[in-house]
Amino acid sequence: MLTSTTTRADARALDGRRARRTAETASLGWKLLLLKITVLGLLNAASVYAAMVLFFNERWLIGTLVVVTGALITWIYFQRGALPAKYLAPGVTFLLIFQVFVILYSGYVAFTNYGTGHNSTKEHAIHAIMLQTQDRVPDSPTYPLTVVERSGELAFAVTAQEGEVLVGSADAPLEAIDGALVEEGRIVDVPGHTVLSFTELMERQQELSTLAVPLDEDPNAGALRTQDGQRAYVYTSRFVYDESSDTMTNTESGETYTDGGEGAFVTESGEQLMPGWRVNVGLDNFVRAITEESIRGPLLYVTAWTFAFAFLSVASTFVLGLFLAIVFNDPRMRSRRYYRLVMILPYAFPGFLSALVWAGMMNQEFGFINSVLFGGAAIPWLSDPWLAKLSILIVNLWLGFPYMFLVCTGALQSIPEELTEAAQMDGARPFQAFRQIKFPLLLVSIAPLLISSFAFNFNNFNLVYMLTGGGPRDIEAGINVGSTDILISMVYKVAFVGAQSDYGLASAFSILIFFIVGTISVIAFRRTRALEELN
Amino acid sequence: MGESQPQRTSMSGRSFRRWFVQIGWRHLVGLAVVVFAAFPLVYVFSASLNPGGTLITANTLFGNLSLQSYVDLFNRPQQPFAAWYLNTLFIGFTASAGSVLLGALAAYAFSRMRFTGRRLGLIGIVLVQMFPQLLAMVAIFLLMLSIGEIFPAIGLNSQIGLIMVYLGGALGVNTYLMYGFFNTIPTSIDEAARIDGAGHARIFFTIILPLVSPILAVVALLSLVATLSEFVIASVLLRDPEKQTLAVGLYQFISQETSQNWSVFAAGAVLAAIIPVVLFLALQRYIVSGLVAGSVK
Amino acid sequence: MTVNTRRFTAMTAFLGAGALALTACGSGGESPGAASAEPTETADAAQTADAEASGSLTVWADANRAEVLADVATDFEADTGIAVEIVQQDFEEIRDQFVSQVPTGEGPDIAVGAHDWLGVLVDNGVVAPVELGDAAEDFEQIAVDAWTYEGQTYGLPYSIENIALLRNTELAPEAPADFEEMIEMGEEAGTEYPFLVGLDPNESDPYHLYPFQTSFGAPVFGTADDGSYDSTELAMGDAGGEDFAAWLAEQGEAGVLNLNIDGDLAQESFNDGSAPFFLTGPWNVTAAQEAGIDVAVDPIPAAGDQPAQPFAGVQGFFLSSQSENVLAASNFLVNYVGTAEVQTALYETGGRAPALSESFEEALGEDEIVAGFGEVGAEAVPMPAIPEMGAVWDDWGASQAAIIKGDGDPVELWQKMSEDIAAAID
Repeated sequence: MLTSTTTRADARALDGRRARRTAETASLGWKLLLLKITVLGLLNAASVYAAMVLFFNERWLIGTLVVVTGALITWIYFQRGALPAKYLAPGVTFLLIFQVFVILYSGYVAFTNYGTGHNSTKEHAIHAIMLQTQDRVPDSPTYPLTVVERSGELAFAVTAQEGEVLVGSADAPLEAIDGALVEEGRIVDVPGHTVLSFTELMERQQELSTLAVPLDEDPNAGALRTQDGQRAYVYTSRFVYDESSDTMTNTESGETYTDGGEGAFVTESGEQLMPGWRVNVGLDNFVRAITEESIRGPLLYVTAWTFAFAFLSVASTFVLGLFLAIVFNDPRMRSRRYYRLVMILPYAFPGFLSALVWAGMMNQEFGFINSVLFGGAAIPWLSDPWLAKLSILIVNLWLGFPYMFLVCTGALQSIPEELTEAAQMDGARPFQAFRQIKFPLLLVSIAPLLISSFAFNFNNFNLVYMLTGGGPRDIEAGINVGSTDILISMVYKVAFVGAQSDYGLASAFSILIFFIVGTISVIAFRRTRALEELN
Repeated sequence: MGESQPQRTSMSGRSFRRWFVQIGWRHLVGLAVVVFAAFPLVYVFSASLNPGGTLITANTLFGNLSLQSYVDLFNRPQQPFAAWYLNTLFIGFTASAGSVLLGALAAYAFSRMRFTGRRLGLIGIVLVQMFPQLLAMVAIFLLMLSIGEIFPAIGLNSQIGLIMVYLGGALGVNTYLMYGFFNTIPTSIDEAARIDGAGHARIFFTIILPLVSPILAVVALLSLVATLSEFVIASVLLRDPEKQTLAVGLYQFISQETSQNWSVFAAGAVLAAIIPVVLFLALQRYIVSGLVAGSVK
Repeated sequence: MTVNTRRFTAMTAFLGAGALALTACGSGGESPGAASAEPTETADAAQTADAEASGSLTVWADANRAEVLADVATDFEADTGIAVEIVQQDFEEIRDQFVSQVPTGEGPDIAVGAHDWLGVLVDNGVVAPVELGDAAEDFEQIAVDAWTYEGQTYGLPYSIENIALLRNTELAPEAPADFEEMIEMGEEAGTEYPFLVGLDPNESDPYHLYPFQTSFGAPVFGTADDGSYDSTELAMGDAGGEDFAAWLAEQGEAGVLNLNIDGDLAQESFNDGSAPFFLTGPWNVTAAQEAGIDVAVDPIPAAGDQPAQPFAGVQGFFLSSQSENVLAASNFLVNYVGTAEVQTALYETGGRAPALSESFEEALGEDEIVAGFGEVGAEAVPMPAIPEMGAVWDDWGASQAAIIKGDGDPVELWQKMSEDIAAAID
């Protein structure tokens, strides 16, 4: 397989000597063991604790997962075999928790209606509807309020306009009471009741915020509620929720809304009551993703540009990065370190800033490029459909070449110089020697990075959105898609900028795009395997 | 770095031509690249010296030279720049070191061991990272929320928690990069050590790691830059201004409705860029020294 | 980590860019409001309570607001024993974070925001109405109107913001009567530009151009009986809109409206004296004054035959529907943040007209600039808050840009846009 590139006997002998020497000096065996026991001990303690908390909260599945993971890791490190697992376990654990979970979660979201209006649970939705449909009775007075308590039950004591004191609770409508003490407009004592202090109010604010005291026996007259514990107002509820039948009734129109199974209360005529809640909608999002009108129209065009953009971005950054890596890999050259230093700057700078600066420099009339470099020409860098494409590639080249430069420099270091020297001695010209000997070797280690770079650019939402916003847009198209939009930015517009956020739809798109990129990558990986075997 | 070569002044025309063909043209390329790479950044630097100015039209570079923006940067109680800087150093270096370690462990396994699922695993870790992260934040937030319920110290609003999230990406492309490099180290080295009785851990830590230091340096730098410019996750997970990172903090300067803070922002960005530059200087020896060639041969 | 970097930055961009886009049209988002003092009496009541109540409040605010609120929070805690934790957030991030975090139980009790977020917040069920009670009368009418959505008031307004015409008094001693006169005066001044407004090459800026649009009698939506928008009736496709489109094309050709001048460039040019007039908001005044420009604030000159009405944005504080501290939160809002003292303090840091009438009048009396904006704001209408506005701004801006550039027949483009918007809202 892929092992030594140098097979010369003297190299081997050197290796042997070196290894022997190192082996002699190091005997850290017991220290490592101690470290292992300590780390694993801590890990197990933590996982047992976490599992206990989880079980205590009846989260059985996750709790079990935690225990199993802890046990698995301990097992991996306390037995003789399974060497690969020992090396892979730490990274894979983090990968599973923070990356695989994210994908699975998005996969799950793709099957729900999560998005604006379907943002939370049914319980929350009902709560919000009830809150939002408490209508204050027009022109009703403000009631100065004192919250009182009788045998643990909260009650309102309010001063009516005529000055009399009324007391009522959830079950007992307001009634006048005699003998209450009023000081400076506030009720300070009510016979048979305890006046609650501010602290006590705060402790029971949940209870208080849901308390509605009927004005009188007629339920349509409304009820007193308070938000701050100091003033009460008369409200009528536009909606009544009936738990047993799980329906919402509009008290004004008498219409009944039922849970239609699609995450919202609906009338028979199909009118929805917002907010709704999250439910599973099966394949709906995928069906929509495929049939979505605003996607289907420009789909071919955008897909073609996405591939072109991703490919050209990788090709341009790689070619420039590799070229520079070679140019600066000559030890005879002076001052290389300074050149290199400047070259990593574009990469080191915060990306959002760079995009903004470039957008400014590309301003048609005032930007540096037109006004200084092109002597006042009015080249529409960002507002001509083709130039905008070119601009985006130029900026991406600027942003991306330092990465390729670093990576290629690193990889070039791994290729023994004498290979080229040998080839050159055999009469090969430098370029030939490079192309036939170093380049294939380089590709072995770089190819996966190129594939991944392709995948990254395929989804390079960042750049597109910051620099051109996908524009310039073809106004005639009637769809909000511009000439530099790639799939992911188009999806973003469809799922978020349109009417409302639709995480479910966006997730479905993410999954579909993932499959496209994944398939291409797997095919590409198969080809690199062929490369590897050259070796 | 290897320095050599003749003094230009004492060169004859012929040797100059030779010097130019071999070396000199490289300087021309270097100058061209320096201009290309640096000139947008010169703008930023110029803007940082021009308090109250904007960024977009700094066509007259360095028309104004004032350090006021740099001073302002450290005098905003609501925007503790110094704290952000330290946080960024801590988070950046920890996450970067962690990534290098986890990545190297995995790369070693993939390079030296043969096991079921090896090929699949290699492709898998890269594939996983190709998922378009349009929605990652919701999931990550919920995850950290649940972790925080059990271990508040590593949940929301915790820098350790943030570092853990970053470590989730420690495998992936970097592993591939290291894997390619590991493959160029002859297995004969491992074998010889093993014959001498060294265990796998010792071989890995004391023999292999030093040999692959160039790639470790590259990955460390890439990771650090990654952490430095990351701000979406950081802005959601870290809430207290004193806990935030540079990228999150700096973005506040310009994302406010009124874009009056361009200059201060630019000054902050210039200072922030010092971190990767210093790190690059420190690691450059490893990245480009040809160390491998020397030790493997 | 490399991939991560990129992935993260991608996300960043997406949220960040969203924020930027919002800044572009939303920054105008606040408009004139009024505020008045109401709370002293109740605050006293709270003060008498013993200062050891349990619980704590979490408030999300951006850096500017956080500073002022910190003082209020200290008072509140001293009076009530309830700790208030001010969490500093990026203003543009608050809406989305609020929507996604409230359902998890992690969201704040109170957050600061702009009224045009209401549609999204209400549709997601994350905000609770705030009962201002009689205090509502103490606020400027437009501020309360802006925070009212489908009949409910959802926030305690604190500042009103709208654009107006800034004039460099050295270059133009008099306020222009209408658009044509302004351009004439601008040309007479002999400066590089007669008039400046920040636009975007591909997205124009419907927010800043809206006063001109209304002066042709083409408001974005029709008005319902209660004075609020009727978002089912798109009004800008009418004849007035077509006139406005024709005007846009004319001005574009004449170079008066220049898409290549963005907000920053317009600001810089105005500050170095390259134009006598600048259509912008109060956020650019400080910089102009620091640059030594003697600034006057004038009404926006009409281009058509009706008054030029800008959009108003009203900032305010809103309550989470999942808050477990409703009582404490509404006390904090109505009785502390709603006081003239706090409203004035917020005005002093932010420079925007307070929403409480008492503070508003006070600020108006003290400061010509605020008075100027306030006067224009009296004509303003709240920005629409319906959740579909994102799509509307996009179509609106792109079409305006095309018209100004001269890409086709203005009236046809305008009609096409109206149809697209009407379809998007449905």
